[in-house]
Amino acid sequence: MRLSCLQENLSRGLALVGRAVATRTTLPITQHVLMETDQSRLKLSATNLELAITTWVGAKVEQEGAVTIPARLLTDFVNSLPNERVDVELTPRPIGVHLQCARFEAHINGADAEEFPPIPTVQEGITARIDPQVLRTAISRVVFAAATEETRPVLTGVKVEISGQRFTLAGADGFRLAVYRGPLVEPVTEEIHAIVPARTLSELQRLLVDQEEPVELVVTPSKSQILIHLKGVEMVSQLIQGTFPNYAQLIPQSFGTRAVVDLQEFSRAARSASIFARDGGGIIRLQVIPGVEGMAGKMVITSRAEETGDNEGKIDARVEGDEAKIAFSSRYLTEVLSVMERGEVALETTTPSSPGVIKPVGGEDYVHVVMPMFVQW
Amino acid sequence: MVMPAMFVMHADLDAFCASVEQLDNPALRGKPVLVGGSPQGRGVVASCSYEARKFGVRSAMSMAQAVRLCPGGVTLHPRFHRYQEKSKEVMAIFHEVTPQVEPISLDEAFVDITHLVVKGIPTTAVGGNLKERVLVETGLVISVGIATSKSVAKIASDLSKPDGLLVVEPGHERTFLAPLPVKHLWGIGPKTEDRLRHEGILTLGDLAGQSVQWAEERFGKRGERLLALSRGEDARPVVTEHEAKSLSAEVTFEKDLSDPMAITLQLSMLCLKVAMRLSREGLKGRTVTVKLRLEDFTTLTRSTSLPVPTSHIFAIQRTAQQLLGKELHPGRRFRLLGVGVSNFAEVEQLSLMEPGYRARRRQGD
Repeated sequence: MRLSCLQENLSRGLALVGRAVATRTTLPITQHVLMETDQSRLKLSATNLELAITTWVGAKVEQEGAVTIPARLLTDFVNSLPNERVDVELTPRPIGVHLQCARFEAHINGADAEEFPPIPTVQEGITARIDPQVLRTAISRVVFAAATEETRPVLTGVKVEISGQRFTLAGADGFRLAVYRGPLVEPVTEEIHAIVPARTLSELQRLLVDQEEPVELVVTPSKSQILIHLKGVEMVSQLIQGTFPNYAQLIPQSFGTRAVVDLQEFSRAARSASIFARDGGGIIRLQVIPGVEGMAGKMVITSRAEETGDNEGKIDARVEGDEAKIAFSSRYLTEVLSVMERGEVALETTTPSSPGVIKPVGGEDYVHVVMPMFVQW
Repeated sequence: MVMPAMFVMHADLDAFCASVEQLDNPALRGKPVLVGGSPQGRGVVASCSYEARKFGVRSAMSMAQAVRLCPGGVTLHPRFHRYQEKSKEVMAIFHEVTPQVEPISLDEAFVDITHLVVKGIPTTAVGGNLKERVLVETGLVISVGIATSKSVAKIASDLSKPDGLLVVEPGHERTFLAPLPVKHLWGIGPKTEDRLRHEGILTLGDLAGQSVQWAEERFGKRGERLLALSRGEDARPVVTEHEAKSLSAEVTFEKDLSDPMAITLQLSMLCLKVAMRLSREGLKGRTVTVKLRLEDFTTLTRSTSLPVPTSHIFAIQRTAQQLLGKELHPGRRFRLLGVGVSNFAEVEQLSLMEPGYRARRRQGD
């Protein structure tokens, strides 16, 4: 293998696939990046066995070949080089690469490309296309609600459902549930149901920032893998096997009190309350008070930490129904408010110990259900 | 036969503190060991090895008397930290069997083994297994009583000592208890025992034969309960520490204290202990109680409630100090001091997917 490419491009490519390099592993080869020539390009791949990312770097290929190199070392070295042409050459003994850029050169030991775990290829399957910015929004609203603990593996994933002209993402961790519905670029003929690891979607979310063309999702007929096709990048992820909870039945269909507030005001009040909540068990208490005689109603946001102090914020609210109070984990509340867009949000509650619903006003695309904290008022 | 509602195991470490000393120091094995306060002061025997018991030494006996009975005994100061460590090891083994473990003290616990018996595992196998594991993994010996209630299980383990395993089969509780002297029953101290003797009641069988009315006339509300216990009827469940209704700590002074400064210092230590345990359990309590025992054994308890539940050392200390202050009169001498916090505020994150289930949220999560 002998090729040359621009330092800038190589650096960007390595950063991209670096997200899939294994960090803690018992299989050292998964800390490598696979470099191989692919027609007139350099193909870079990394995998932690759950997620694989592949990208291509424009290169002048003089001799075909492939090799695997420790990702961290290669990336750090390439990042230290000036933005000039990098000459890359495979060295047979010891197996590795020789790199030269301007007046810098290095030899990095690697391993035979044959030793690299095969990157799964998805040749056929059901394909759906989604606008990249729509998908990015959808992921950001849902992915944080997925569980981080492994106690229920299916909850560490996000349920992806694609049917007709719409897609749905749902994430839940046992205490909260986030569901986003969005449009497809074109209708699908066959439904897709899959549980995608939340980590895969978080990585996808980063990659979507500068994408303009529709993203292609392909699920293998065996339902074991998903291929995500972006411009210049491919991700292949294992799917989580199991049964995702029937989340639709966890969304309350009615409410006793509905308060509509300005998202930014609500967010600010929740953030200041969370400062006191830090020392007070992480609890934010919300009281919804209907307006009287044409006056606006209120939402009162409080938190207290014994010995430290307490705080109270009041914001205007359009209230339907009776006075209500409910307490939430400050983390759960601030997290959901931080992913929503400007505008108005509605908080719907029934009792202090039944789920609260937070959703944007005037859009049916997002709903967030969060269980309250049981507290003494 | 109808399956009884529960099977309870009472496990009790034999001569706990003395055994730990013998375990840590092989030179002490086979010798009479007395662990407790100093023989010069008002120290009492906290624990003594079986070798010492042959001389008539019993725990809670004054150390001075114990040394007279057993002049060759090795007297040691207790190393509570070490006992706590070993106790944790033993409790951890119980916890592997079931979360339903109710520790009563460092060396005693109730374990709810109903789920194992329901699965068809014989009670003797459950008890034998645990005895074996505790011995192999900690080097300590437990005596085990198994029955359909806490009080019968405890009596069974007491009777089985040392190194015993005694199962009271369902339906045999009353015949098991009948021949035993009344003092075996929890809640029957020397005073009650005397009163019962005057009535001609010597055994639990005698007591069990009386009517509720008879018991209530003599012992008030307590009577009915004593009667039920003597018949082997006790439905109290095994209560894990999490579900405990209060947390407390107390200390018996080596010499009666009257100096306000010295008492206040002791109070602070107790408050610290309680505050630490509260935060470890993620609990906050609204009521602070101070317990005082005077030199004539009169026991006073004083409590007050706070506006907000707390686990904070300063809040507990300030409240306890106020309660104590009212009881400190010149010349009043105290034997014992205790501090407790109760009336816990439950703060729990409710679960979305398992209705009715509450995931206890520990502070600091």
